[in-house]
Amino acid sequence: MTSTPILVALAGQPNCGKSTVFNLLTGARQHVANYPGVTVEKKTGSFSIGETRVELVDLPGTYSLTSYSLEERVARDFLLGDNPGVVMDVADASNLKRNLYLTLQLIEMEVPTILDLNMMDVAERRGQKIDILGLEKILGIPVVPTTAKRGAGREQLREAIVRTADTTRESVFRVNYGPMEPYIRELLERLKEEPLLSVQYPLRWLAVKLLENDAEAMDLLGRNHPDADRILEATEAARSKFAAEEGNEVERHIAFTRHAACAAISRKVVTMPTERKRSLSDRADRYICNRYLGPIILVAILMVLYQVAIVFGNWLALQVWPAWGALEDFAADVLPAAGFMDDPLLRSLGLWVVKSTTAILNYLPIFFLLFSLIAILEDSGYMPRMAFILDRLFRRFGLHGQSTLPMILGGVYVGGCAIPGVMATKAIPDERARLATIMIVPMMNCLAKVPLYLILIGAYFADVGGFAMFFIATVTLFMALPVAKLLTLTVFKKHSSAPFIMEMPPYHVPTVTGVLRRAAERVWLFLKKIVTVVAAVAVVVFVLINYPGLTDARKAHYAEAEVKAVDGFMAEVEKTGYQGRINRDDVLSIILFDEALKRAKQGVTDQEKSNVINQRFEVRNPVYYAVVKRVGGDGKALNRAIKKVNRVRKQVRRESRAERFETSFLGVMGRTLEPVTQWAGFNWRINIALLSAFAAKENSAATLGSIYGLDGSQSVQESMKAGESGFTALHALALMLFMALYPPCVPTSIMVRHQSNSTKWMLFSIGYQTLLGLFVASLVFTGGTLLGLSGFQAMWAFYGLCVAVTLGMGLIPVPEETEATPVITAICKDNCS
Amino acid sequence: MKKLMIVLTLASLLAFAGQAFAHSPLMSCFDNGDGTVTCEGGFSDGSSASGVKIHVTDGGGKSLIETNMNQDSEVTFKKPDGAYMVIFDGGAGHTVEVNGADIVE
Amino acid sequence: MTLDELQPGISCEMTGLTASGALGQRLMDLGFYPGAAIAIVRNAPLVDPLELHLDGYHVSIRHSEARHIEVKI
Repeated sequence: MTSTPILVALAGQPNCGKSTVFNLLTGARQHVANYPGVTVEKKTGSFSIGETRVELVDLPGTYSLTSYSLEERVARDFLLGDNPGVVMDVADASNLKRNLYLTLQLIEMEVPTILDLNMMDVAERRGQKIDILGLEKILGIPVVPTTAKRGAGREQLREAIVRTADTTRESVFRVNYGPMEPYIRELLERLKEEPLLSVQYPLRWLAVKLLENDAEAMDLLGRNHPDADRILEATEAARSKFAAEEGNEVERHIAFTRHAACAAISRKVVTMPTERKRSLSDRADRYICNRYLGPIILVAILMVLYQVAIVFGNWLALQVWPAWGALEDFAADVLPAAGFMDDPLLRSLGLWVVKSTTAILNYLPIFFLLFSLIAILEDSGYMPRMAFILDRLFRRFGLHGQSTLPMILGGVYVGGCAIPGVMATKAIPDERARLATIMIVPMMNCLAKVPLYLILIGAYFADVGGFAMFFIATVTLFMALPVAKLLTLTVFKKHSSAPFIMEMPPYHVPTVTGVLRRAAERVWLFLKKIVTVVAAVAVVVFVLINYPGLTDARKAHYAEAEVKAVDGFMAEVEKTGYQGRINRDDVLSIILFDEALKRAKQGVTDQEKSNVINQRFEVRNPVYYAVVKRVGGDGKALNRAIKKVNRVRKQVRRESRAERFETSFLGVMGRTLEPVTQWAGFNWRINIALLSAFAAKENSAATLGSIYGLDGSQSVQESMKAGESGFTALHALALMLFMALYPPCVPTSIMVRHQSNSTKWMLFSIGYQTLLGLFVASLVFTGGTLLGLSGFQAMWAFYGLCVAVTLGMGLIPVPEETEATPVITAICKDNCS
Repeated sequence: MKKLMIVLTLASLLAFAGQAFAHSPLMSCFDNGDGTVTCEGGFSDGSSASGVKIHVTDGGGKSLIETNMNQDSEVTFKKPDGAYMVIFDGGAGHTVEVNGADIVE
Repeated sequence: MTLDELQPGISCEMTGLTASGALGQRLMDLGFYPGAAIAIVRNAPLVDPLELHLDGYHVSIRHSEARHIEVKI
């Protein structure tokens, strides 16, 4: 009959079905965030048991509760600081002995504990029999057998929570540390002297941890005990004494004693089958981890991933596109009407923001597919196998076996996206390798970079198109690997590299709901985090490319063109029966009427339907309709005339837009950068295109087009050639390389910040990539020019250089993990960047 | 290690034929009622279709008209007699076809 | 004898641990303790890392890490 909510912490080792238990208890009412200040996911959910509210917090899965890893520290902090009423330890029943290792430590923290013996079906399948009651008696805590994926055990868990919350159990199991017990007792006495400590923290646990030389425990003592230094000194002495007497270090002894206790308990309550059956997973692994088949299967899986996510995803995106197109049309209708040359600010800004956002939204189907496939890969248990196969290769470059997936997602050959690529780095357990991967994933071939490659290749490498495409697609890999290595050797040197030690759990068939739920969660996260920032950045870019705007003199020039065109039209009107009924103001309206009619008929292929729409518009304004649809002799004449005006209008808009662009802040930036970028062969026009491309790479092709003020009789590539006389294949090569290397887009940078949890790294990634891009482009351009190489020759010379550097870098040894205690990064509790 | 690299490279070469994606071509056509047809083109990522080749073929595939999209990403041509197709040719993998029968006034 | 010296297919028993700090702790956390039964399942396609079977589950570690585990057959 408690009305205060119960806080339940969900703990457990990895691969025990903890997530399934979480979903089983909370249903759909979940919320995903991060633990404060760190990139560790915190899932909370709530549910009711009768009248009582229960809040469930999913702690990170950990094998133990030391202070060596971020996840463990986060879990411990929560248990000590947030005062949960119950901790539910989810264990894999078929691996009881190992799982008890965590259970015993949880019990030691003196929070009321429930042991959820999950995956009972697996234990059964393996022929194991577990004496639940016996286990309960020994441990002194409730033990609930469950098979969460089938929903079995839910009621018992709920009942156990209510039964156990906030109670103190007297007969809870206590590990007997043998020869260490006297030391523990002595330290305990000392700690009891400080009442503040005994109220807040479990003292026996603290004593054990201090003797174990646990860094965070020592920190805790320092903050809460006035006499901490003396105690720490005494503890240090005790440790040495113990090591001398027992011939074993305290940490070892404690860990070994715990394991022995687990083994003893397990022997008592678990009956193993007489014969150990070969599990399906073992048999599958024979192929999947095989020396020859393994890599082939890996490549096959990646290809399927790519095919489904990118190729099929694109097809899907195309089907969904009309929805975004409709959004754009809706905006066009709702915002203030267009003008002749200029549009009202609200309209142009509004449309710009909408277009920038729909460009990103266009990727949603691809993301959803990608996230679903990744969830399948993760849930199935294949990821550790991938790491197992590739680790040796990637390790040479400071990466990790699990860096494979992020890089594939980023686009290994052509067409990927850095956003899910960076998101996927979450799974990499090694902090240093994870950072290195985050830094190089944006260098992979993202979908949006491709149109520019196509334009440049079409213009300057038309006859060797295939080779050029192959070049640009694969050279990024040979640039990314050495960079990763370089970063690892320099910038990341201070970061500790975690041991590889990795469990390879049995394979598991993912559930449809689990996969879809995870995919939906990630898509939602993407929408929340990224779309808002993209819209904001779009506004900034808008200002940069539209202001200071045209001078009055130029505006007058274009206004003159408008006046002349309208004059011409009005002259025609005088000759017709519409004289007096159409005046100057109507000219623009007629043009807009025409556009509206076209928009209404988009996609309509049935003449009947088209006629209905025509009628609607006729009713709306018969005069306009007559002009637009050539009704009557007068209508036909005016139709020709209005078409002339429209052409002028389009030209005026195009030209004024290009001019405004060139004189804008961005344009000025582009010009100022020219002295630097000239070594890469970029003139100010290219600079502007590149600067605007940062907002969204798709813009680069469009911007390039508009800057060159394309004359429609030639293709884009021809116009560019004509526009940039003196622009050679070498220029194009340098430009392509720059585009390949420099940061793909704002959403990616946001993801980088999110995954690395620091603005510093985001800025670093933007900075180093831009500089690297400039350096490489300059190297290729200036170097190529000095050596007198043609574009094609320079291409392959550079390629050879990259491959050589990659191989060379691969041979340099990576700094091995230091044996000393790693530096603990404090978990920031508030006001973190 | 070398073997692995070779396998990976070959496999990726086979799989990916250099297609570009979210840069999908779009085209809508209208019958102007005066014997001409106007088609407006573009790409889903906002790129301009200016300069893109346009082929108009008859029902049998024979080329009737060859032209390009103008600077405003539009093209107007004389409406052929009988069945025809309008093909937006933006290069490998970037083509859109519109059937003349679906082009209404 | 250390674990990295053994070939796939061999089973052994752990006798001691020479790693300290994070590596030692992590090994212990994952069930490497004196008396534990370890079977070497296979090497990776690129030789490193290796896959081991401990009582009921599989763990993969690098050869350089296995060097710290003392065993007897």
